[in-house]
Amino acid sequence: MPEDASPTLHSRRSLTLRFNIPISKTSRFWEALGQGKFITTKCADCGRLSFPPQADCPNCMSGNSEWVDLGTDAELLTFTHVQVTPTSFVDHDPYVVAIGRLNEGLNVLAWLEGADHTKLKPGAKLRVEIRNDPEGTPYYVFVTA
Amino acid sequence: MRGVAIVGIGHSKFGRRTDVDVAELAFESIKGAVEDSGVDKKEIQNVTLGSAGGWYEEPLPAVLVNEYAGFKDVGTMRVEAACASGSAAVRSAYLSVASGESEVSMAVGVEKMTEVDTLTSVELMGRSGSYLWEFESYGMTFPAYYALYAVSHMNRYGTTEEDMARVAVKAHHYASMNPLAQFQKEITLDKALSSQVVSWPLKLYDACPITDGSAAVILASEEAARRLSDTPIWIKGMGFSSDSANLSKREDYVGLRATVDASRKAYGAAKVGPGDIDVATCHDCFTIAELMAYEDLGLCRKGEGPKMVREGQTEVGGRIPVNVDGGLKAKGHPIGATGVSMMVEVTKQLRGEAGGNRQAPIKKGVGLVHNVGGTGHYCYVTVLSRSR
Repeated sequence: MPEDASPTLHSRRSLTLRFNIPISKTSRFWEALGQGKFITTKCADCGRLSFPPQADCPNCMSGNSEWVDLGTDAELLTFTHVQVTPTSFVDHDPYVVAIGRLNEGLNVLAWLEGADHTKLKPGAKLRVEIRNDPEGTPYYVFVTA
Repeated sequence: MRGVAIVGIGHSKFGRRTDVDVAELAFESIKGAVEDSGVDKKEIQNVTLGSAGGWYEEPLPAVLVNEYAGFKDVGTMRVEAACASGSAAVRSAYLSVASGESEVSMAVGVEKMTEVDTLTSVELMGRSGSYLWEFESYGMTFPAYYALYAVSHMNRYGTTEEDMARVAVKAHHYASMNPLAQFQKEITLDKALSSQVVSWPLKLYDACPITDGSAAVILASEEAARRLSDTPIWIKGMGFSSDSANLSKREDYVGLRATVDASRKAYGAAKVGPGDIDVATCHDCFTIAELMAYEDLGLCRKGEGPKMVREGQTEVGGRIPVNVDGGLKAKGHPIGATGVSMMVEVTKQLRGEAGGNRQAPIKKGVGLVHNVGGTGHYCYVTVLSRSR
Protein backbone atom coordinates (compact mmCIF):
# COMPACT_ATOMS: atom_id res chain seq x y z
CA MET A 1 0.00 0.00 0.00
CA PRO A 2 1.45 3.38 -0.92
CA GLU A 3 2.29 5.40 2.18
CA ASP A 4 3.49 9.01 2.28
CA ALA A 5 4.22 8.85 -1.41
CA SER A 6 0.49 9.40 -1.98
CA PRO A 7 -0.57 12.78 -3.33
CA THR A 8 -2.48 14.96 -0.85
CA LEU A 9 -4.21 18.31 -1.27
CA HIS A 10 -2.85 20.77 1.28
CA SER A 11 -6.08 22.66 2.05
CA ARG A 12 -5.96 26.33 1.04
CA ARG A 13 -8.41 27.35 3.79
CA SER A 14 -6.80 27.44 7.21
CA LEU A 15 -8.84 27.47 10.41
CA THR A 16 -7.65 29.10 13.62
CA LEU A 17 -9.76 28.47 16.68
CA ARG A 18 -9.53 30.71 19.72
CA PHE A 19 -12.30 30.44 22.29
CA ASN A 20 -13.91 33.12 24.46
CA ILE A 21 -14.44 31.11 27.62
CA PRO A 22 -17.15 32.41 29.98
CA ILE A 23 -15.76 32.87 33.49
CA SER A 24 -18.40 35.16 35.01
CA LYS A 25 -19.25 32.66 37.74
CA THR A 26 -15.63 32.19 38.80
CA SER A 27 -14.22 35.64 37.97
CA ARG A 28 -13.75 36.28 41.69
CA PHE A 29 -11.18 33.48 41.75
CA TRP A 30 -9.10 35.12 39.00
CA GLU A 31 -9.42 38.57 40.59
CA ALA A 32 -8.30 37.23 43.97
CA LEU A 33 -5.42 35.39 42.33
CA GLY A 34 -4.33 38.72 40.82
CA GLN A 35 -4.27 40.12 44.37
CA GLY A 36 -2.15 37.21 45.60
CA LYS A 37 -4.99 35.29 47.25
CA PHE A 38 -5.88 31.64 46.67
CA ILE A 39 -9.61 31.09 47.22
CA THR A 40 -12.35 28.70 46.21
CA THR A 41 -16.08 28.05 46.56
CA LYS A 42 -17.90 26.44 49.45
CA CYS A 43 -21.57 25.48 49.32
CA ALA A 44 -23.46 27.64 51.81
CA ASP A 45 -26.08 24.90 52.22
CA CYS A 46 -24.18 21.60 52.54
CA GLY A 47 -20.66 22.89 53.18
CA ARG A 48 -19.01 21.09 50.25
CA LEU A 49 -15.71 22.64 49.18
CA SER A 50 -14.85 22.52 45.47
CA PHE A 51 -11.63 23.01 43.57
CA PRO A 52 -11.63 24.23 40.87
CA PRO A 53 -14.27 26.65 42.16
CA GLN A 54 -17.81 26.26 40.83
CA ALA A 55 -20.96 28.28 41.46
CA ASP A 56 -23.29 25.28 41.65
CA CYS A 57 -22.84 22.54 44.21
CA PRO A 58 -22.22 19.09 42.67
CA ASN A 59 -23.30 17.49 45.97
CA CYS A 60 -26.67 19.11 46.78
CA MET A 61 -27.17 21.18 43.59
CA SER A 62 -27.59 24.38 45.57
CA GLY A 63 -26.63 27.62 43.85
CA ASN A 64 -25.71 29.31 47.16
CA SER A 65 -21.94 29.27 47.10
CA GLU A 66 -19.59 31.45 49.12
CA TRP A 67 -15.91 32.23 48.64
CA VAL A 68 -13.43 30.96 51.22
CA ASP A 69 -9.65 31.25 51.61
CA LEU A 70 -7.55 28.18 50.91
CA GLY A 71 -4.34 27.29 52.68
CA THR A 72 -1.26 26.94 50.52
CA ASP A 73 0.33 23.84 52.10
CA ALA A 74 0.05 20.65 50.06
CA GLU A 75 1.41 17.13 49.77
CA LEU A 76 2.68 15.82 46.44
CA LEU A 77 0.49 12.96 45.17
CA THR A 78 2.03 12.46 41.74
CA PHE A 79 3.89 14.30 38.99
CA THR A 80 5.41 14.09 35.52
CA HIS A 81 8.07 15.97 33.54
CA VAL A 82 6.53 17.01 30.20
CA GLN A 83 9.32 16.96 27.63
CA VAL A 84 7.30 16.82 24.39
CA THR A 85 5.03 19.86 24.65
CA PRO A 86 1.95 20.68 22.57
CA THR A 87 1.97 23.23 19.74
CA SER A 88 0.80 26.13 21.87
CA PHE A 89 3.56 25.48 24.47
CA VAL A 90 6.24 24.76 21.90
CA ASP A 91 8.46 27.65 23.04
CA HIS A 92 8.39 26.49 26.66
CA ASP A 93 11.16 24.58 28.35
CA PRO A 94 10.01 21.18 29.64
CA TYR A 95 7.87 21.55 32.75
CA VAL A 96 6.91 19.47 35.78
CA VAL A 97 3.16 19.05 36.30
CA ALA A 98 2.07 17.86 39.74
CA ILE A 99 -1.09 16.98 41.57
CA GLY A 100 -0.94 18.08 45.18
CA ARG A 101 -3.42 17.59 47.99
CA LEU A 102 -4.18 20.68 50.07
CA ASN A 103 -4.70 20.39 53.83
CA GLU A 104 -8.41 20.96 53.10
CA GLY A 105 -8.39 17.62 51.24
CA LEU A 106 -8.78 19.18 47.79
CA ASN A 107 -6.47 18.15 44.95
CA VAL A 108 -4.88 20.77 42.69
CA LEU A 109 -3.12 20.24 39.35
CA ALA A 110 -0.43 22.80 38.54
CA TRP A 111 3.17 23.22 37.48
CA LEU A 112 5.74 22.40 40.11
CA GLU A 113 8.45 24.98 39.65
CA GLY A 114 12.12 24.79 40.55
CA ALA A 115 12.14 21.06 41.32
CA ASP A 116 14.44 18.39 39.88
CA HIS A 117 12.00 15.68 38.75
CA THR A 118 14.63 12.97 39.14
CA LYS A 119 14.74 13.65 42.88
CA LEU A 120 11.01 14.10 43.52
CA LYS A 121 8.95 11.58 45.49
CA PRO A 122 5.22 11.46 46.16
CA GLY A 123 4.67 12.60 49.73
CA ALA A 124 6.95 15.64 49.38
CA LYS A 125 5.76 18.86 51.03
CA LEU A 126 4.66 21.57 48.61
CA ARG A 127 3.40 25.12 48.76
CA VAL A 128 1.09 27.01 46.38
CA GLU A 129 2.49 30.27 45.00
CA ILE A 130 1.00 32.74 42.56
CA ARG A 131 2.72 33.88 39.38
CA ASN A 132 1.93 36.20 36.48
CA ASP A 133 2.53 35.18 32.90
CA PRO A 134 4.24 37.66 30.50
CA GLU A 135 0.81 39.13 29.59
CA GLY A 136 0.07 39.71 33.27
CA THR A 137 -2.45 36.87 33.65
CA PRO A 138 -2.12 35.32 37.11
CA TYR A 139 -1.77 31.56 37.58
CA TYR A 140 -0.89 29.32 40.51
CA VAL A 141 2.04 26.93 40.80
CA PHE A 142 3.53 24.59 43.34
CA VAL A 143 7.00 24.94 44.77
CA THR A 144 8.68 22.51 47.16
CA ALA A 145 8.25 23.64 50.76
CA MET B 1 -33.86 -7.64 25.66
CA ARG B 2 -33.13 -10.16 22.94
CA GLY B 3 -29.85 -11.77 21.96
CA VAL B 4 -27.49 -9.93 19.61
CA ALA B 5 -24.54 -11.41 17.72
CA ILE B 6 -21.64 -10.13 15.67
CA VAL B 7 -22.09 -11.70 12.23
CA GLY B 8 -19.65 -9.68 10.14
CA ILE B 9 -16.27 -8.03 10.71
CA GLY B 10 -14.15 -5.70 8.63
CA HIS B 11 -10.81 -4.00 9.37
CA SER B 12 -8.58 -1.67 7.38
CA LYS B 13 -4.83 -1.65 7.40
CA PHE B 14 -3.78 0.64 10.28
CA GLY B 15 -0.98 3.15 9.83
CA ARG B 16 -0.19 6.44 8.20
CA ARG B 17 -2.81 6.24 5.47
CA THR B 18 -2.19 9.27 3.28
CA ASP B 19 -3.66 7.27 0.38
CA VAL B 20 -7.29 7.57 1.55
CA ASP B 21 -9.69 10.15 2.96
CA VAL B 22 -12.00 9.42 5.89
CA ALA B 23 -14.85 7.98 3.81
CA GLU B 24 -12.56 5.85 1.65
CA LEU B 25 -10.87 4.57 4.80
CA ALA B 26 -14.19 3.68 6.47
CA PHE B 27 -15.35 1.99 3.26
CA GLU B 28 -12.51 -0.55 3.46
CA SER B 29 -13.95 -1.90 6.73
CA ILE B 30 -17.61 -1.58 5.75
CA LYS B 31 -17.02 -3.57 2.59
CA GLY B 32 -15.09 -6.19 4.56
CA ALA B 33 -17.85 -6.54 7.14
CA VAL B 34 -20.64 -6.77 4.55
CA GLU B 35 -18.73 -9.43 2.62
CA ASP B 36 -17.80 -11.33 5.78
CA SER B 37 -21.44 -11.47 6.91
CA GLY B 38 -22.95 -12.18 3.51
CA VAL B 39 -25.77 -9.79 4.44
CA ASP B 40 -27.68 -7.92 1.77
CA LYS B 41 -26.61 -4.34 2.41
CA LYS B 42 -30.27 -3.24 2.27
CA GLU B 43 -30.95 -5.25 5.43
CA ILE B 44 -28.74 -2.87 7.47
CA GLN B 45 -31.21 -0.44 9.03
CA ASN B 46 -28.94 1.48 11.36
CA VAL B 47 -25.35 2.72 10.98
CA THR B 48 -23.58 4.25 13.98
CA LEU B 49 -20.19 5.85 13.44
CA GLY B 50 -17.63 6.16 16.22
CA SER B 51 -15.17 8.97 15.56
CA ALA B 52 -13.66 11.56 17.89
CA GLY B 53 -12.86 13.88 14.99
CA GLY B 54 -11.13 17.25 14.95
CA TRP B 55 -8.02 16.10 13.06
CA TYR B 56 -9.62 15.72 9.66
CA GLU B 57 -11.53 18.11 7.45
CA GLU B 58 -15.05 16.69 7.78
CA PRO B 59 -17.25 17.65 10.76
CA LEU B 60 -20.14 15.30 9.77
CA PRO B 61 -18.41 12.01 9.03
CA ALA B 62 -21.43 9.73 9.53
CA VAL B 63 -23.44 11.01 6.58
CA LEU B 64 -20.32 11.32 4.46
CA VAL B 65 -19.36 7.70 5.08
CA ASN B 66 -22.93 6.48 4.47
CA GLU B 67 -23.13 8.39 1.21
CA TYR B 68 -19.81 6.97 0.01
CA ALA B 69 -20.79 3.41 0.92
CA GLY B 70 -24.28 3.72 -0.56
CA PHE B 71 -26.42 3.56 2.59
CA LYS B 72 -29.69 5.42 2.00
CA ASP B 73 -32.47 6.17 4.51
CA VAL B 74 -30.57 4.53 7.38
CA GLY B 75 -30.87 5.79 10.93
CA THR B 76 -27.46 7.20 11.73
CA MET B 77 -25.32 9.29 14.05
CA ARG B 78 -21.73 9.92 15.00
CA VAL B 79 -20.99 9.09 18.66
CA GLU B 80 -18.11 10.31 20.80
CA ALA B 81 -16.62 8.76 23.91
CA ALA B 82 -13.02 9.82 23.19
CA CYS B 83 -10.86 6.72 22.61
CA ALA B 84 -13.90 4.56 23.48
CA SER B 85 -16.01 6.05 20.67
CA GLY B 86 -15.82 2.71 18.85
CA SER B 87 -17.34 0.83 21.78
CA ALA B 88 -19.95 3.55 22.12
CA ALA B 89 -20.89 2.96 18.46
CA VAL B 90 -21.14 -0.78 19.08
CA ARG B 91 -23.29 -0.13 22.12
CA SER B 92 -25.68 2.03 20.10
CA ALA B 93 -25.95 -0.57 17.33
CA TYR B 94 -26.34 -3.32 19.94
CA LEU B 95 -29.20 -1.52 21.69
CA SER B 96 -30.97 -0.94 18.37
CA VAL B 97 -31.06 -4.69 17.71
CA ALA B 98 -31.54 -5.79 21.33
CA SER B 99 -34.55 -3.51 21.73
CA GLY B 100 -36.20 -4.87 18.58
CA GLU B 101 -35.86 -1.60 16.72
CA SER B 102 -33.77 -3.22 13.98
CA GLU B 103 -32.85 -6.74 12.86
CA VAL B 104 -29.42 -5.86 11.49
CA SER B 105 -27.30 -2.85 12.36
CA MET B 106 -23.71 -1.79 11.84
CA ALA B 107 -21.12 -0.01 13.97
CA VAL B 108 -18.22 1.64 12.17
CA GLY B 109 -15.21 3.22 13.81
CA VAL B 110 -12.89 5.50 11.89
CA GLU B 111 -10.21 8.08 12.57
CA LYS B 112 -8.00 10.00 10.22
CA MET B 113 -5.36 11.49 12.49
CA THR B 114 -2.43 12.26 10.22
CA GLU B 115 -3.97 15.13 8.23
CA VAL B 116 -2.65 17.53 10.88
CA ASP B 117 0.94 17.68 12.14
CA THR B 118 2.02 15.62 15.14
CA LEU B 119 2.22 18.47 17.67
CA THR B 120 -1.28 19.62 16.73
CA SER B 121 -2.48 16.08 17.47
CA VAL B 122 -0.62 16.25 20.79
CA GLU B 123 -2.42 19.54 21.48
CA LEU B 124 -5.89 18.20 20.61
CA MET B 125 -5.39 15.18 22.87
CA GLY B 126 -3.89 17.30 25.65
CA ARG B 127 -7.04 19.43 25.70
CA SER B 128 -9.08 16.28 26.45
CA GLY B 129 -9.79 16.79 30.10
CA SER B 130 -10.96 19.97 31.80
CA TYR B 131 -9.47 22.55 29.43
CA LEU B 132 -9.38 25.72 31.53
CA TRP B 133 -7.87 24.05 34.61
CA GLU B 134 -5.51 21.55 33.03
CA PHE B 135 -4.46 22.86 29.62
CA GLU B 136 -4.79 26.64 29.42
CA SER B 137 -2.04 27.35 31.96
CA TYR B 138 -0.30 23.98 32.30
CA GLY B 139 -0.10 22.46 28.81
CA MET B 140 -1.05 18.92 29.70
CA THR B 141 -0.52 16.22 27.08
CA PHE B 142 -2.07 12.79 26.81
CA PRO B 143 1.19 11.07 27.78
CA ALA B 144 1.42 13.47 30.74
CA TYR B 145 -1.97 12.38 32.08
CA TYR B 146 -0.95 8.71 32.03
CA ALA B 147 2.50 9.55 33.37
CA LEU B 148 0.79 10.89 36.51
CA TYR B 149 -0.64 7.39 36.94
CA ALA B 150 2.69 5.71 36.11
CA VAL B 151 4.59 7.67 38.77
CA SER B 152 1.98 6.85 41.39
CA HIS B 153 1.89 3.14 40.45
CA MET B 154 5.70 2.98 40.55
CA ASN B 155 5.75 4.65 43.95
CA ARG B 156 3.02 2.44 45.47
CA TYR B 157 3.86 -0.97 43.98
CA GLY B 158 7.50 -0.77 42.92
CA THR B 159 6.60 -0.96 39.22
CA THR B 160 9.65 -0.17 37.08
CA GLU B 161 10.31 1.44 33.71
CA GLU B 162 11.47 -2.02 32.61
CA ASP B 163 8.09 -3.55 33.54
CA MET B 164 6.38 -1.00 31.32
CA ALA B 165 8.87 -1.60 28.49
CA ARG B 166 8.04 -5.32 28.59
CA VAL B 167 4.46 -4.47 27.61
CA ALA B 168 5.80 -2.64 24.55
CA VAL B 169 8.04 -5.56 23.59
CA LYS B 170 5.05 -7.94 23.82
CA ALA B 171 2.88 -5.59 21.75
CA HIS B 172 5.44 -5.30 18.96
CA HIS B 173 6.00 -9.07 19.02
CA TYR B 174 2.34 -9.78 18.26
CA ALA B 175 1.97 -6.83 15.86
CA SER B 176 4.75 -8.40 13.78
CA MET B 177 2.35 -11.32 13.18
CA ASN B 178 -0.64 -9.09 12.39
CA PRO B 179 -0.51 -7.80 8.80
CA LEU B 180 -3.08 -5.08 9.60
CA ALA B 181 -0.94 -3.59 12.39
CA GLN B 182 0.86 -0.26 12.01
CA PHE B 183 4.19 -1.64 13.23
CA GLN B 184 5.51 -4.85 11.75
CA LYS B 185 8.83 -5.16 13.58
CA GLU B 186 9.80 -6.64 16.93
CA ILE B 187 11.66 -4.38 19.36
CA THR B 188 14.11 -5.17 22.15
CA LEU B 189 13.78 -4.17 25.78
CA ASP B 190 16.87 -1.96 25.37
CA LYS B 191 15.36 -0.14 22.41
CA ALA B 192 12.17 0.58 24.36
CA LEU B 193 14.08 1.70 27.44
CA SER B 194 16.45 3.97 25.53
CA SER B 195 13.77 5.72 23.46
CA GLN B 196 13.08 9.45 23.79
CA VAL B 197 11.35 10.58 26.98
CA VAL B 198 7.96 12.05 26.11
CA SER B 199 6.61 12.76 29.58
CA TRP B 200 8.76 11.18 32.26
CA PRO B 201 8.67 8.28 33.06
CA LEU B 202 6.89 7.52 29.77
CA LYS B 203 9.01 7.24 26.64
CA LEU B 204 8.22 7.03 22.97
CA TYR B 205 7.91 3.25 23.13
CA ASP B 206 5.53 3.45 26.09
CA ALA B 207 3.07 5.34 23.89
CA CYS B 208 0.71 4.27 21.15
CA PRO B 209 1.34 5.90 17.78
CA ILE B 210 -0.84 8.38 15.88
CA THR B 211 -2.82 6.24 13.47
CA ASP B 212 -5.30 6.28 10.60
CA GLY B 213 -7.64 3.32 10.46
CA SER B 214 -11.15 1.92 10.47
CA ALA B 215 -13.05 -1.14 11.61
CA ALA B 216 -16.67 -2.29 11.30
CA VAL B 217 -18.95 -4.93 12.82
CA ILE B 218 -22.40 -6.03 11.71
CA LEU B 219 -24.79 -7.00 14.49
CA ALA B 220 -27.87 -9.17 14.06
CA SER B 221 -30.84 -10.39 16.07
CA GLU B 222 -30.87 -14.06 17.01
CA GLU B 223 -33.13 -14.94 14.10
CA ALA B 224 -31.05 -13.00 11.58
CA ALA B 225 -27.80 -14.27 13.08
CA ARG B 226 -28.83 -17.95 12.69
CA ARG B 227 -29.64 -17.27 9.05
CA LEU B 228 -26.51 -15.23 8.28
CA SER B 229 -23.73 -16.94 10.21
CA ASP B 230 -22.41 -20.36 11.19
CA THR B 231 -20.18 -18.73 13.79
CA PRO B 232 -22.13 -15.90 15.41
CA ILE B 233 -20.28 -14.29 18.32
CA TRP B 234 -22.76 -13.17 20.94
CA ILE B 235 -22.62 -9.97 22.94
CA LYS B 236 -23.19 -11.38 26.40
CA GLY B 237 -22.81 -8.22 28.42
CA MET B 238 -21.74 -4.60 28.13
CA GLY B 239 -20.85 -2.39 31.06
CA PHE B 240 -19.89 1.23 30.89
CA SER B 241 -18.88 3.87 33.34
CA SER B 242 -17.06 7.18 33.67
CA ASP B 243 -14.92 9.33 35.95
CA SER B 244 -14.16 13.01 36.50
CA ALA B 245 -13.07 15.19 33.57
CA ASN B 246 -10.43 16.92 35.70
CA LEU B 247 -7.84 14.43 36.92
CA SER B 248 -7.33 16.35 40.13
CA LYS B 249 -10.85 15.33 41.20
CA ARG B 250 -9.77 11.70 41.64
CA GLU B 251 -8.99 9.84 44.86
CA ASP B 252 -5.83 8.11 43.69
CA TYR B 253 -3.70 7.49 40.63
CA VAL B 254 -2.92 3.77 40.64
CA GLY B 255 -5.90 2.49 38.66
CA LEU B 256 -8.93 3.55 36.67
CA ARG B 257 -12.12 3.59 38.70
CA ALA B 258 -14.17 3.60 35.47
CA THR B 259 -12.59 0.27 34.46
CA VAL B 260 -13.35 -1.34 37.81
CA ASP B 261 -16.98 -0.20 37.63
CA ALA B 262 -17.58 -0.99 33.93
CA SER B 263 -16.05 -4.46 34.24
CA ARG B 264 -18.13 -5.27 37.31
CA LYS B 265 -21.25 -4.33 35.35
CA ALA B 266 -20.17 -6.31 32.27
CA TYR B 267 -19.28 -9.45 34.25
CA GLY B 268 -22.65 -9.20 36.03
CA ALA B 269 -24.63 -8.83 32.81
CA ALA B 270 -22.77 -11.72 31.16
CA LYS B 271 -22.77 -13.85 34.34
CA VAL B 272 -19.05 -14.56 34.01
CA GLY B 273 -15.96 -13.67 36.01
CA PRO B 274 -12.38 -12.81 35.08
CA GLY B 275 -11.48 -16.50 35.40
CA ASP B 276 -13.78 -17.40 32.50
CA ILE B 277 -12.00 -15.21 29.94
CA ASP B 278 -9.97 -17.03 27.26
CA VAL B 279 -8.62 -13.94 25.51
CA ALA B 280 -8.83 -10.19 26.02
CA THR B 281 -8.05 -6.87 24.40
CA CYS B 282 -7.13 -4.20 26.95
CA HIS B 283 -6.82 -0.48 26.39
CA ASP B 284 -3.04 -0.05 26.24
CA CYS B 285 -2.76 3.51 24.93
CA PHE B 286 0.30 3.57 27.19
CA THR B 287 2.16 0.61 28.64
CA ILE B 288 1.18 1.61 32.19
CA ALA B 289 -2.47 1.50 31.07
CA GLU B 290 -2.19 -2.20 30.19
CA LEU B 291 -0.63 -3.03 33.57
CA MET B 292 -3.38 -1.15 35.41
CA ALA B 293 -6.04 -2.80 33.21
CA TYR B 294 -4.93 -6.31 34.27
CA GLU B 295 -5.52 -5.23 37.86
CA ASP B 296 -8.68 -3.17 37.40
CA LEU B 297 -10.34 -5.93 35.31
CA GLY B 298 -9.59 -8.46 38.05
CA LEU B 299 -7.19 -10.54 35.95
CA CYS B 300 -4.81 -10.27 38.91
CA ARG B 301 -4.68 -8.55 42.29
CA LYS B 302 -3.97 -4.83 42.61
CA GLY B 303 -0.27 -4.16 42.19
CA GLU B 304 0.44 -7.48 40.44
CA GLY B 305 0.11 -6.19 36.87
CA PRO B 306 3.89 -6.02 36.39
CA LYS B 307 4.23 -9.64 37.61
CA MET B 308 1.74 -10.75 34.94
CA VAL B 309 3.86 -9.36 32.12
CA ARG B 310 7.19 -10.43 33.72
CA GLU B 311 5.92 -14.03 33.87
CA GLY B 312 4.44 -14.00 30.37
CA GLN B 313 0.97 -14.73 31.73
CA THR B 314 -0.65 -12.49 29.12
CA GLU B 315 1.04 -14.06 26.10
CA VAL B 316 -0.36 -16.89 23.98
CA GLY B 317 0.26 -19.97 26.13
CA GLY B 318 -0.01 -17.92 29.33
CA ARG B 319 -2.93 -17.81 31.70
CA ILE B 320 -4.85 -15.17 29.71
CA PRO B 321 -3.53 -13.78 26.42
CA VAL B 322 -4.02 -10.01 26.19
CA ASN B 323 -3.58 -7.81 23.11
CA VAL B 324 -2.15 -10.56 20.95
CA ASP B 325 -3.05 -8.41 17.93
CA GLY B 326 -0.37 -5.86 18.89
CA GLY B 327 -2.68 -3.71 21.01
CA LEU B 328 -3.05 0.02 20.65
CA LYS B 329 0.68 0.23 21.27
CA ALA B 330 1.77 -1.50 18.06
CA LYS B 331 -1.34 -2.29 16.04
CA GLY B 332 -2.05 1.46 16.26
CA HIS B 333 -4.74 3.60 17.85
CA PRO B 334 -7.03 5.39 15.40
CA ILE B 335 -9.13 6.85 18.24
CA GLY B 336 -12.70 6.15 17.06
CA ALA B 337 -11.79 2.89 15.33
CA THR B 338 -10.09 1.26 18.30
CA GLY B 339 -13.14 -0.10 20.15
CA VAL B 340 -14.54 -1.62 16.96
CA SER B 341 -11.11 -3.02 16.07
CA MET B 342 -11.05 -4.73 19.49
CA MET B 343 -14.46 -6.33 18.76
CA VAL B 344 -13.12 -7.52 15.40
CA GLU B 345 -10.04 -9.02 17.05
CA VAL B 346 -11.90 -10.86 19.81
CA THR B 347 -14.46 -12.13 17.25
CA LYS B 348 -11.59 -13.49 15.16
CA GLN B 349 -10.06 -15.12 18.22
CA LEU B 350 -13.34 -16.75 19.29
CA ARG B 351 -13.96 -17.96 15.73
CA GLY B 352 -10.44 -19.42 15.75
CA GLU B 353 -9.43 -17.27 12.79
CA ALA B 354 -6.59 -15.20 14.29
CA GLY B 355 -4.08 -17.43 12.60
CA GLY B 356 -0.60 -18.73 13.32
CA ASN B 357 1.15 -18.10 16.58
CA ARG B 358 -1.19 -15.37 17.71
CA GLN B 359 -4.32 -17.54 18.00
CA ALA B 360 -5.17 -17.96 21.69
CA PRO B 361 -6.40 -21.36 22.86
CA ILE B 362 -10.19 -21.05 23.22
CA LYS B 363 -11.60 -23.21 26.02
CA LYS B 364 -14.71 -21.60 27.47
CA GLY B 365 -15.41 -19.58 24.36
CA VAL B 366 -15.46 -16.25 26.17
CA GLY B 367 -13.54 -13.08 25.27
CA LEU B 368 -13.30 -9.60 26.74
CA VAL B 369 -13.02 -6.14 25.17
CA HIS B 370 -11.81 -3.32 27.44
CA ASN B 371 -11.94 0.13 25.84
CA VAL B 372 -11.08 3.31 27.75
CA GLY B 373 -11.88 6.85 26.62
CA GLY B 374 -9.44 9.59 27.60
CA THR B 375 -7.58 9.01 30.86
CA GLY B 376 -10.25 6.76 32.34
CA HIS B 377 -12.84 9.40 31.57
CA TYR B 378 -15.01 6.79 29.88
CA CYS B 379 -14.79 3.01 30.03
CA TYR B 380 -16.68 0.33 28.10
CA VAL B 381 -16.23 -3.37 28.83
CA THR B 382 -17.86 -5.97 26.57
CA VAL B 383 -18.05 -9.74 27.08
CA LEU B 384 -18.30 -11.77 23.87
CA SER B 385 -19.07 -15.48 23.67
CA ARG B 386 -19.35 -18.33 21.21
CA SER B 387 -22.50 -19.52 22.96
CA ARG B 388 -25.81 -17.74 23.07
